[in-house]
Amino acid sequence: MSEPVTRRDLLHNVVRGSVLATLGGGAIFLVQKAHGQVVWQVDASRCSNSRLGEAGPENCKLCTTECVVALSAVRAVNEHSKCGRCAICPAYFNITSAVDEKGLPSEKKCPRDAITRKPIGRADPEDPANNFYEYIIDEEKCDGCGKCVMQCREPLGLGSIVLRVRYDKCVNCNKCAISRACPKDALMQIPVEQALQAPEIRHSTE
Amino acid sequence: MEYRQTRVIGGKGNAPGQFATSLRSLAVDAHGQVFAAGDSGITIFDAAGRVKRRWSTSRPPLSVAIAGDGGVYAGELRQIEIFSSAGKLVNTWKDETLLGRVTAIGFVQDGVLAGDAADRAIRHFDRNGKFRNHIGKDNPVNGLLIPNGVVDFAVDAHGVIHAANPGKHRVESYRPTGELLGHIGRFHGTDPAGFGGCCNPTNVAVRDRIYVTEKGGPRAKVYDFSGNLQAVIASEAFDPNCKNMSVAVDGRGAVYVADTVKLNILVFEPVTV
Repeated sequence: MSEPVTRRDLLHNVVRGSVLATLGGGAIFLVQKAHGQVVWQVDASRCSNSRLGEAGPENCKLCTTECVVALSAVRAVNEHSKCGRCAICPAYFNITSAVDEKGLPSEKKCPRDAITRKPIGRADPEDPANNFYEYIIDEEKCDGCGKCVMQCREPLGLGSIVLRVRYDKCVNCNKCAISRACPKDALMQIPVEQALQAPEIRHSTE
Repeated sequence: MEYRQTRVIGGKGNAPGQFATSLRSLAVDAHGQVFAAGDSGITIFDAAGRVKRRWSTSRPPLSVAIAGDGGVYAGELRQIEIFSSAGKLVNTWKDETLLGRVTAIGFVQDGVLAGDAADRAIRHFDRNGKFRNHIGKDNPVNGLLIPNGVVDFAVDAHGVIHAANPGKHRVESYRPTGELLGHIGRFHGTDPAGFGGCCNPTNVAVRDRIYVTEKGGPRAKVYDFSGNLQAVIASEAFDPNCKNMSVAVDGRGAVYVADTVKLNILVFEPVTV
């Protein structure tokens, strides 16, 4: 005999259904691949590319090299609400490259040219290079190498760019190959419900 | 021109003269006393670096400044508290809109200036707290570009306001009326004469020259008023994760910089050759 459905259960299911409908395809991937249990995600507070206090000139590339998926399921994501929209973004530009005639660094940072930007608001005609910019990461190009993440971390940047497992790319191995290699134990399994609540998942479905 | 570190004041801890969680702003008065806004109050150190007095503010202080009459102004969230030199609360200016997050305070001849990081602008009030005008807001981006979250400025002997505009990699100079007079500085990722990273300099002091601090990697530098680099005061001395390091200068040219991670005040003095 089945359990009676309470008013609370019903309400919970309606809300859950609404969230799933809102999230669309990405959520379907998520639910299918999670087998109703847990999914892998990167904990930015542990990741050496984004962690405040971690020193070292080179970015950790294990998310790129260890994932069993051909182009890693880990991608860089810009959390726009945290982004400073800087004119000279260290994640976009190679800030140690030569400065061009506009006063900007002449090289970009991303080796796959996955980051683009567009100005926001009114440009100053006397100072066109200085404005707010929206930075957009093309996840079809990004391989999760973490170079931009490392440049955006505090205190150099604001830490708005972080690495995230994309659920529509991840095959949800029982023992994630990246997690086995990660020296910081930054790959962790989280409940599907928690993953569904994470705002950045929406980017993968848009 | 060279500087050498001569003293360290404060530090992280709970002992008198130490700071438990934060050290946000510095000011130095005519007698060489150092006023520090940190944790939940104002601490005064004498010229030798000994704790002279400490009092609490009603909200955590984000900035501190000393008026010509010895009054101590503490910038906070949505208010400025004004204390006597003995630490007695004299007045409180409250304003939800104009004093959102007061990260710097300064004085012109007949007015008080407050840097409001919440709105990326400097407010100009008369000495009674009546608002006069905005500074740094009349531009296409409606304010100073401060991804670092702090508005900082200093006023020179002629009443000119020198404000950090880190997103533009500049120190801009304004009249108290808000008129932009000019700027110094440019971006450069490797030349120490330039300002590096996304957003520098973060903090400014002024006396005979313009003194600035930068974040990521942290350093303190001094420029003449034409924007020529005079010296890198220090770079290795600070914790690499420092940002928004308050800077102050005393009458002898000694430079005081707040290490926001180690929570101490480093004092650098010019070396006379």
